[in-house]
Amino acid sequence: MYKLKVAELNLEIEYKYPTMIKQAEAYKADFERPNIRIEITDENLALMQRENPHLSLDDVEYIFTGGAFYEALLEFKGFMLHSSGVCVDGYAYLFSADPGTGKSTHTGLWQQYFGEDRALIINDDKPAIRLVDDKLYAYGTPWSGKTDKNLNMRVPVGAIVFIERSADKNWVREITPKEAIPLILGQTVRPTESDKMEKLLDVLDTLLRRVRVFRLGCDMSFDAVKTSYEAIRVV
Amino acid sequence: MKVKKDYLLRNVAGSNIVVPVGEGSLDFSGVITLNEVGAFLWENLKEDTDLDSLVKTLCSEYDVDEATAKADVTEFLNKLKGADLLED
Repeated sequence: MYKLKVAELNLEIEYKYPTMIKQAEAYKADFERPNIRIEITDENLALMQRENPHLSLDDVEYIFTGGAFYEALLEFKGFMLHSSGVCVDGYAYLFSADPGTGKSTHTGLWQQYFGEDRALIINDDKPAIRLVDDKLYAYGTPWSGKTDKNLNMRVPVGAIVFIERSADKNWVREITPKEAIPLILGQTVRPTESDKMEKLLDVLDTLLRRVRVFRLGCDMSFDAVKTSYEAIRVV
Repeated sequence: MKVKKDYLLRNVAGSNIVVPVGEGSLDFSGVITLNEVGAFLWENLKEDTDLDSLVKTLCSEYDVDEATAKADVTEFLNKLKGADLLED
């Protein structure tokens, strides 16, 4: 069993394949009592791999430990948003979209524009969001999708932005909670159990009352960065 | 009639939303948004009821005449039926 601290939760977890070993390294911690235990047996890993034959055991372990963590996160006023999260000047801006839309490309442009020491990728694919001490934070986690870009840090959530591609011009528009709810539910793991769904909606209620949500149509230029940054920046 | 049990009505940041849970989430993965009257009717449809009772309840809660209430409730029920959200 390894001990990790992820999103300020004590995690006891079993893993043995290279991706998890590498991704988890920065999250190792020591504690007495776990909040969450994740143990996937060899049998279960093999079963999951048979159901997903295009994946290796290494992939399966990485994906399913992440899935187990994000499901458990719902019990701790948190959830995962499928997004690339970039931190600039102390606030996290989370760019969310379906795979292949270009969220990592967009945050990569932020890093080029602001420099890699001012724009930090906290998690390139699956940041955790939690309400802790009545504040909303985005967290890096070991599970960051296909890239290894994640940082063991917490940052207040600055804004959430749903990206779409726009060929002719860059635009940004703030959206209402009503418009944001289906978009957010479409980019997280929707729980099927009623009590977990209640908990997710509790967090979303707080989030949408405090954090601004936008839609951004963008290309792959610095103009796209300027357009989004000027509209969504907190500081 | 009543609404199917595998749906959750919640107010989230001022919006009344209905999301599927349990077996409901197998058939439908969207989100339904209801206005205030829709949410009121949904609450009343959690227990078995019928058109006349819903119209009466609506008239007692809101300042609306019976004919209008009946038209509104009928329209709402038709939408729910269309989305397969009602059961007998």
